[in-house]
This record gives sequence, C-alpha cells and structure tokens, in this order.
Amino acid sequence: MREVWVIGKNTYKEILRDRILYGLLVFALLLIGVSLALGELSFAEQTRISANFGLTGIHLSAVILSIFVGSTLVSREIDKKTILTLLVRPVSRVQFVAGKALGLSLVIATLVSGLALVLVAVLSYLGMELNLILAGALIGVLFESLVLLGITLFFSSFTTPMMTVVFSASLFLIGHWLGSLRFFAEKSQSLEFSVMSQVVTAIVPDLENFNWREYVIYADPIPLSQVLWAGVNAFAWFGLLIVLTAFIFGRRDFA
Amino acid sequence: MEKVLEVIELKKSYKKGFIPKSHDVLKGLNFSLKKGSITGFLGANGAGKTTTMKCILGLTFFKEGQILFFDGQSLSGDVKRRIGFLPERPYFYEYLTGYEFLRFYGELSGGMSRSQLNGRIAELLARVDLSHAKDVKLRNYSKGMLQKIGLAQALIHRPDLVILDEPKAGLDPDGRYYISEIIRELASQGTTVFFSSHLLHDAEKLCENLVIIKSGLVIFEGETKQLLSEVDPEVEIIFRENGQLKTKTVMGEAELQVQLSDLVRKGVSVHEVRRKQISLEEAFVEMALRGEKTS
Repeated sequence: MREVWVIGKNTYKEILRDRILYGLLVFALLLIGVSLALGELSFAEQTRISANFGLTGIHLSAVILSIFVGSTLVSREIDKKTILTLLVRPVSRVQFVAGKALGLSLVIATLVSGLALVLVAVLSYLGMELNLILAGALIGVLFESLVLLGITLFFSSFTTPMMTVVFSASLFLIGHWLGSLRFFAEKSQSLEFSVMSQVVTAIVPDLENFNWREYVIYADPIPLSQVLWAGVNAFAWFGLLIVLTAFIFGRRDFA
Repeated sequence: MEKVLEVIELKKSYKKGFIPKSHDVLKGLNFSLKKGSITGFLGANGAGKTTTMKCILGLTFFKEGQILFFDGQSLSGDVKRRIGFLPERPYFYEYLTGYEFLRFYGELSGGMSRSQLNGRIAELLARVDLSHAKDVKLRNYSKGMLQKIGLAQALIHRPDLVILDEPKAGLDPDGRYYISEIIRELASQGTTVFFSSHLLHDAEKLCENLVIIKSGLVIFEGETKQLLSEVDPEVEIIFRENGQLKTKTVMGEAELQVQLSDLVRKGVSVHEVRRKQISLEEAFVEMALRGEKTS
C-alpha cells in the first residue's frame, strides 16, 4: 500500500505542476463567471441558472481532466521510459496502475473542491441558501469522474492516447444517453436494436446515475440510499476497470 | 564465492512486421557475475545487451531460460530491494527537483526511516557533486547532471547489484571519469557492478571481467586480461644478421615460435622480441569477427 501511496503522491505533484490543469481551471472559472452573467438575465431564476451553469462547469472540468490527463497517465511513463526505473523497484504493475489512478483521483478531488468553493461563494453572493444538496451533486461529479478515469485507464492499457480519448469520450456520451437508448429500444419493433441496446446497457456504466444537478436546481434532497448506491456502483466499476487494466498492463513487455 | 547473478540458457524473441514474424534476439545466453566484481557487457548495436538487461530486471518477459540472483533466488520484491538500475538515455521526472527525485525513489525502495533517507540523499548528492543543485528542477539539469542524478537514484537504497545501461554515453571526459570513480568505489565496498558500454577504452580500464555477446549468444566470458592474451597480437622480432639489425613481424604465438626456431637454427642472434600491446577495441573486433565462443 505504501508503494501505491508514494506513486500516487508523485502523480499528484506531476499533474499539479502541469500547465493543462491551469488551462482547465481558467475554463471552469470562466464558466462559473458566465453563470453569474447569465443569471443576471433572469431575475427570478438567477440562482438556479447560476447553480446549474456552475455545476456544469465543474462537471466538464472533472470529465476533461479524467479523460485527457488519464489518457496519457501511463503512456507518458512508457514513452519517457521513466517506468523502467519504477518497475525495477519493489513495485508490482498493479501497484503502479493503482498509484497512478490514486494520484489523478486526488487531483480531480482537489479541482472539484477548489471550484466548489468558488461556486459556493458565487451562490452565496446571489443569496442562494446553501445546503447539502450541492455537496451531494459534487459527490456525484466525483463518482462519475472515478468511473471515467477507470474507463480511460483501461483503454490506455492497450491503445494510443488519441484512441483512448476517442473511446472514453464516446463512452461518456453513450453513458449519458442510456436512458434514451432504453426508451427507444422499448418502442422499437426491431429485435436487433433491442438486443444491441440490452448489450450496451449491460456493459456501459449509466453515468446519469451520478447526475444530481436537477436536485440542486429544484432544491430537492437527494435520497441518501441513492448516494450510497451510486458510490457502490462507482467504486465497483472503478475497481473492475483497474483490475482489467492491471491485468493487461501486467502482460506488457517494455522493449 | 557468491554468485550475484546467473543467466542460464536465456532465450527471447520478438514479433515484428505487419504479418508478425518471430525474431530471435537472445538465443541461449549463459553467464554469471561474482560478488564485488565489475563486469563490462559488450556487444555491437542490436546484439541484445539492453534486452538482456530488461529480461534480468523483469521489464521484458523471456520465453526460455532462467535468471537467478544472490545464490539461486528468482526475481521478487526482496531481490529488487537489492538491485539498482540506470537505464540508457534516462528521462526523469523533470518537474521534480534533484532532492524530490531522490526522495521519491528512496521512499519507493523502502527500508529507510525519514531521517535515514534524508541523510542518504545528502550523502549521495555530495558524492555525485550535485549538492548545489538539489533544489533545481531536473528540466534545468544538463545531460551530465542527469546522468549523475540517475546514478544516484540507482544507489539510493544501497543495492548489492548495480546494473547500468550505457552509463557513460554522451558524457564528456570529466563526466566519464566521475562515473568510473564511483563504479570503482562501489566495487571496493563489495557491490557488484554490471554495465554495458560502447566505450571500450573505458571498459578496458575499469572492468576486471567481460561478457561479450554477438547475435544473442555469449562469445566471451572471463577476465579482461584473458581476452587480451587470447587474441593473437602482432610480434616484432629484432635480430642481427650479417652485422645489421633487421626486423620481422609475425602474427601470433605459434608463428613466433616457428620463426624463432628458424632464426636460432640459422645461427642468427635474436636481439629483441617486441609484443605489440593489443587494446580491448582490437581484441573486441577480432573476437566479433571470429564469432566463436572461446569461453
């Protein structure tokens, strides 16, 4: 476990010192800023619009971080050959993958927490009553990022960073459209479409399970059971994908 | 004497091409390293030196053979704790400072308390003459400084076996001398050093033992001086005939004996037999050309 923590700490430091994070931070802050401006357009719905926009900014930032940084997390170590000096230490390949995943997860958590503080400040300024619903929605963003990170690491274990981004982004979109897919499959007369939809639904994580932005907008409490179930779901997907990644990575030759 | 490393019938092949075709890189490699020795690993480009090192370190899987460490142990976490490695043309985490870099590898290797690790880092930074650059990010290090800090990471956990892949490549004479001094010092402390090099002059001065490979096979394993004596050198016979000093050049020991007997029979006075000192470079080329296993 010590090895995972040491690699995780180093990965955290690596990403924090990378410029991509600051680009992302500017993008998210801009979105939160725009949320303020958009809120001004509507007097009655100002806080709701701002909360929605702000949460979307945080969500997109976390997703971009998971997919784009995740796609090169392992490949960069292989390309730069830094992996050679790591794996000759008493570090297994599973520990290496887990450490890298831990490092990026910590960065995502830091980014989401930092942006959440900005959003809370904005919403307080607008007079919105703060409650645990916003925290719940942010936890949902973290759960989704964890699943996306698992997906990205899995693809990166056997394909190029560019293809990893394409596959992961596709699964991100499909993962948010599973509800629509199910709806159309039920209405469809085609057996093939119905079977295909069942297969896709079974193998792609439903990312809408982690989307609780509407609860914030309508000030509806998120049921605790839903949060807990989503947490189990997210960690199960993440664990499974890390095991698969480590299995593929463990068979790799570093020629 | 303890065998620190034993490579037995090591075979490795790669698949290459659009329609993958198996290509044998190592064809049954055998050699061993004795405790506290400095062994040079020589061979032309593509002979399989780096592949052998990667097989030894578990970075590449091999199809047949056995690699044993420290009197018969297979590679494991405990064995890895006793090995240090510097890869060829190392790229390190350029966002880390020299101190952070060594700390990271020290923590990964384990076995040291925080204060012990800090002490070891300070000691190594001083040894590789980088104390002044401990807070400088590696992206601002020169090539020579990177090689030195790379060597320091390989030594941070006081390994018993140090494997260095081309440690002197691209370094200036000062840097090469520095690395040689550290290697000598390690061996004097009982550490076994195994390193590959293209710089045969340096290897000749530094290594007491050599392993030479060609096309995936060991063509020489033994002491450096044994190799130099095995390769037939040029010999000059200086003799006096009819009052005049004359010179005759012969190749190798056998021809020398024939020529000397001939001269003695003729009653010629042999003035001097001068053996040309053969360099490792010449011996290596001769050995590679022969391509036969002499040891």
